[in-house]
Amino acid sequence: MPQMLRVVYSAFRMAMLHWIADPQWVIPNIIAPFIFTTVALTLFKNSTGPFGLYAVLGGGMMGMWGNTLYSSGFAIEFEKWQGTLEEVMATPSKLLHVIAGRSVSNALFGLTNMIAVLLIAGFGFRVPLGIANLPMFSVALVLTLLSVSALGLIFASAFVLSRSAQTLTNGLEIPLYIISGSMFPIALLPFWIHPAAYILGPTWGVDAIRLATSQDYATDSFWKGVNANVAMVLDLAVMIVITLIYAAVAVVLFKMVEKRARTTGTLVEA
Amino acid sequence: MSRLRIFFSSAIFSYRAQFSWLNPSMWLTMKLVLSLSQMAFFVFVGLFISGNPAVIHYIAIGNALQTVSWNVVFSVINITGHDKWDGTLPLVLATPASRLPLFFGRAMMHVFDGMLSVVISFAFAATLFGVNFGNANMLALAVTVFLTAFTMAGFGLLIGGLSFYFREPIVFANIFTYILLIFCGVNFPVQDLPQIVQPVSYAFPLTYGVAAARMTISGATLFDISILLGQQLVVGLVSILLGYFLFRTFEHVARKTGRIEAV
Repeated sequence: MPQMLRVVYSAFRMAMLHWIADPQWVIPNIIAPFIFTTVALTLFKNSTGPFGLYAVLGGGMMGMWGNTLYSSGFAIEFEKWQGTLEEVMATPSKLLHVIAGRSVSNALFGLTNMIAVLLIAGFGFRVPLGIANLPMFSVALVLTLLSVSALGLIFASAFVLSRSAQTLTNGLEIPLYIISGSMFPIALLPFWIHPAAYILGPTWGVDAIRLATSQDYATDSFWKGVNANVAMVLDLAVMIVITLIYAAVAVVLFKMVEKRARTTGTLVEA
Repeated sequence: MSRLRIFFSSAIFSYRAQFSWLNPSMWLTMKLVLSLSQMAFFVFVGLFISGNPAVIHYIAIGNALQTVSWNVVFSVINITGHDKWDGTLPLVLATPASRLPLFFGRAMMHVFDGMLSVVISFAFAATLFGVNFGNANMLALAVTVFLTAFTMAGFGLLIGGLSFYFREPIVFANIFTYILLIFCGVNFPVQDLPQIVQPVSYAFPLTYGVAAARMTISGATLFDISILLGQQLVVGLVSILLGYFLFRTFEHVARKTGRIEAV
């Protein structure tokens, strides 16, 4: 296995083991998306329309968001508290690869929220949960997970140098749910927010996931008038391009952050 | 006099302690962002469902008042967590200071901070989401906001007392800050909940506060909401007493087992 993949895998495995050893930490990470979805389902329950679809898929999406964001911030903070950040920085492995493994693990754990949401939606609110195109749904979900992870890398690079990483995490969580249109169409947002929505990879991912779940959604998709399957492919293509840009930006940022941290010697005090 | 001094010292130091990890500019940013973002999220959900201004205003007012819980529930519960992380818990427990003012005082500055959060949220509700405060009875609304912050601080102390015995109070802080969104009539009436869980709603002081705030914004007087506020005060005081009892009990257990920070 190439060294890079070995580091990513080790970090992924380590993060998974941490979660298993102390599973209570899954609660702060997914509590907001879970509660928000439950509230939305209660609000939607007397309405007709595609609301259940938005609530359930949006809730799952928010779980991935929340977990990735929270963990990106907290991972660095945790290393600072434990006094292990210096060791992580001093290893010959690149910090980017260590954080990448963790980021994927965190996004994957965020999916536990989707399971919780599916259970409460199916049993508590009797929302129909059929998936029209399961293969495309799976592909869209995995690619969205990778996109969220790549964005997590960008956040993590900024959090290395900040004492307020955890606070920033709390502050960014809900705005990201709003901007990505997790629970409602982006068209409802003020027009000046739309560009911010379109540069978020997961915005396109959630559109593809909704299309894969229900063909009826094609009329509400970003690609109105386009065949649902073609629209899904277009969504995924845009998301892949954005994700690659995130990865490139993360590489540059991590180099800058590592250099600055080593030059100024303010890594742990930052 | 000594008890009063302990009360004020506890209030000031517990509040100032949070600035060891939070700089003032970040504190202000968070206050503005949290106040607006949660309200905006649910307002957009409401807009998606119905677009009815009454629904939008209902959601905006409920969320404005709920922001108080970030200060008086989340932060108050986390005082214990930070005491554990920062290694100050043994010092707090070793002091001969009277426990009641020490315990009660630590939440007090958060009450005023919470009231400031609500004022900011009401400003957002009025300017961005069109909530009309023209008919509001300002005195009754001010009393409601204060009593809600005060009694919810009692609730924060209760859960803080409970979480004293657990390793990570932040887990409780998250659960009990967010769960209010379901039970307290913040986004939908309590009656929309399954009947079996509705009694739970009335264990939270916020439920009474949200109902009273909606009435005062529509013009109700202090007299009109006096029963609601009375019920809220009773629930809040019971929370404080229960919280104090738990705090003393777990303090006793921690001393007996010698596992002050490990529990």
